[in-house]
Amino acid sequence: MRKIIITALTAVSAFFIIQSCSKSGSSPNGGGGDKGNSFDRKAMLTNWETNIILPAYTQYVSVTANLDAAVTAFNTAPDAAKLTALQTAFKSAYEQWQSASAFDFGPAETATFRANTNTFPTNVSQINNNIKDDVYNPNLLVNLSAKGFPAIDYLLFGVGADNTAVLAQYTTDALAANRKKNLAALSAELKTNAASILSAWNGAYKTTFLNADGTDVGSSTGQLVNQLIQDYENLKNQEIGIPAGIQSLGTTFPTKVQAYYSKESVKLALLHIAAVQNIYLGKSAVGDGLGLDDYLIKANATYTDGKPLNDAIKAQFTTSIAKLNVLTDPLSDNIKNNNAQVTAAYAELQKLTVLLKTDMTSKLGIAITFGDNDGD
Amino acid sequence: MPNALRDKLSAFINTPVNIAPLAVLRMAFGGIMFISTIRFILKGWVSAFYIKPILHFTFYGFDWVRPLGATGMYVLFALIALAALMMAIGLFYRLAAMVFFLGFTYVELIDKSFYLNHYYLISVLAFLMVLVPANRYFSVDVWCKPAIHVNMVPAWCVNIFKAQLVLVYFFAGVSKLNYDWLIAAMPLRIWLPANSQLPVIGGLMEYAWVAYVFCWFGALFDLFVGFALLYKPTRKLAYIAVVIFHLATGWFFKIGMFPYIMILVTVVFFSDDVQLRIIGFFRNIFKSQEPNVSTAYKPSPFKIKAIYTIITIHFIIQLLMPFRFMLYPGKLYWTEEGYRFSWRVMLMEKGGTAFFHVKDPQTGHSAEIVNSQYLTQLQENMMATQPDMILQYAHFLAAQYQKKGIKHPVITAESYVTLNGSGSRLYIDTTVNLANEQEGFGHKKWITPFNNKN
Repeated sequence: MRKIIITALTAVSAFFIIQSCSKSGSSPNGGGGDKGNSFDRKAMLTNWETNIILPAYTQYVSVTANLDAAVTAFNTAPDAAKLTALQTAFKSAYEQWQSASAFDFGPAETATFRANTNTFPTNVSQINNNIKDDVYNPNLLVNLSAKGFPAIDYLLFGVGADNTAVLAQYTTDALAANRKKNLAALSAELKTNAASILSAWNGAYKTTFLNADGTDVGSSTGQLVNQLIQDYENLKNQEIGIPAGIQSLGTTFPTKVQAYYSKESVKLALLHIAAVQNIYLGKSAVGDGLGLDDYLIKANATYTDGKPLNDAIKAQFTTSIAKLNVLTDPLSDNIKNNNAQVTAAYAELQKLTVLLKTDMTSKLGIAITFGDNDGD
Repeated sequence: MPNALRDKLSAFINTPVNIAPLAVLRMAFGGIMFISTIRFILKGWVSAFYIKPILHFTFYGFDWVRPLGATGMYVLFALIALAALMMAIGLFYRLAAMVFFLGFTYVELIDKSFYLNHYYLISVLAFLMVLVPANRYFSVDVWCKPAIHVNMVPAWCVNIFKAQLVLVYFFAGVSKLNYDWLIAAMPLRIWLPANSQLPVIGGLMEYAWVAYVFCWFGALFDLFVGFALLYKPTRKLAYIAVVIFHLATGWFFKIGMFPYIMILVTVVFFSDDVQLRIIGFFRNIFKSQEPNVSTAYKPSPFKIKAIYTIITIHFIIQLLMPFRFMLYPGKLYWTEEGYRFSWRVMLMEKGGTAFFHVKDPQTGHSAEIVNSQYLTQLQENMMATQPDMILQYAHFLAAQYQKKGIKHPVITAESYVTLNGSGSRLYIDTTVNLANEQEGFGHKKWITPFNNKN
């Protein structure tokens, strides 16, 4: 027995010498000081819930109710003033949605909230078929791209060249009655969905969210981070990349932008990235609370240059926002006239993807996929 | 060969020993594999891993291994579960062990995205199970055909399992003897604080010294537990350590059935007395009587020769596989060349994001690929950090775009990878057209060296 152990020890030390020649970038001192008193994940969840998620949903419920009321008013007696009022109500609802789209887990996931609210580009021929046949079934998969904000965007801004022409579609057009009905159904659906998500959050999910304070796939931090990244990638790809032709061998698709008809694409994208940034920072109307930035600071996470990862992420948010700020609405024209600006913004957004998806999740030890890991 | 050594070797191979450890191992292994397979099916992983994906990352040389379609996969898993159950009760044992080994290994070969060292261990143990007469004692086979009953087997029948498990632990321990694990306490320094919500000990997880304790204890445990299990005076203590260690890691990390598998199969180290007591416990339940005949298992000389050859080759491979990484340049954790099949577990926190670009050389236009249209999230994550998978995916993309009419699509990968807390950095040379690169056992020159900071 002793011989075996001695042989083993010799082999081990030989191996140690060979292996210790190579090491990873993390130094023992830079990795994470012995600070104790842990990062309070539950407090971060509480901050997100109380100061960010619930206010975002509450506000969203209110603006979708306003939108639906404006639709009802318009439908009862369509005129130019009511159309303008309705268009304004639509814009403010769409703007508020940018703050609510990241939370597609829990009640929102069950209701496939994000896809039901904002699938674009919208399918104009499907919308027109629904109007012509006077049928609309919200549960049909094909209607995912004939509902929500993108469909209403078309109905309020895209059915005519200007507001006079749009108004005619709801007054003198042969299908005016059907069109009003479809519009009403779509805005009512937005309103109802919003209300049911908020009530689920105000009910049992409020505590469920706070209690799942681990870091596995099903935990609240895990779900929120996963969905935040997913939502951010939607912003990068759907709102900017795809229209700019990033995925299509040189062919651009200017009409595939978000809010193509109301021409608010850049404004919405800026609101969207600001919402993502606020979730990252834990920032809200009540101030800068606990967020992922504090979590990374606590974990002493460093980036390739040895400086804090949080600094790199914050800097990349700033750069990305600056590049988006260069763009002008209508984004579809910007793509046609100066697509280099758009692809330049995309390139910066891409860098932020790597920081959030790879560096951040890895440093936090957050599980992002199902399945077992290697055991020991 | 000195005589003493030869005698020892001969004793290790030929001494007749009690068969009870084999029967217990058969029940333990078959039983846990049955539960494990059912769990896998119930979790929906058959569909998520082997039915839904469009593309599968096969192992080099095993491209012919394909999933069998939805019905086929479920039938295969049912067959594996049934075979495990038959192994446990010892019904048509050799056939069951063979079916289990082939079925399980086939599934593992379909897609390396889902490779885990403990799946590899299961394949290896199942392979060894095929070679031994574990059904010649306290089994349905004996009940049906009492003539096959034996109570003694040559020592190799039991020792091959002990040797295999000692190797697994020892190599797992050796692989922990490196800078990252011992000096930087990585990746536990990242993983443990993620458990701070656990009751009682959660608060401790934030301290760096706790990570060091875990790392050093883990390394020492892996290095020595196999030998301590072999050595009678330390066996009991070692087994207690096995139970505590595996339960603790099972509690901290999402490692599925692995802790329970190890706790059960290491029972093979126990003495005949303990094994007989275990069998006695089951005999009581089934009111089965120990047959009064005392016979030894004697395979034909031809069979013995064949088995010796197989076992010798097997252990030579087992001894050499973990060292093959030395044939490759660069940092092992970074390149992962020679990483698999070497009992390297829990050593890396590695993550990556990979963007692929396809370029039409005729028009000069290029496009970024949406990976999610071809890969599941798990596959995408695995692919981004493993060069051989990046290459396979690039070849798949080349084929896709050839179908779309681009004759010689240029495929490049831009993957950013972080390893054990290092900041993310470029993993693959973004100028290399991966469509032209071939898979092989050689070093992949287009992997960017780890320390090549940008």
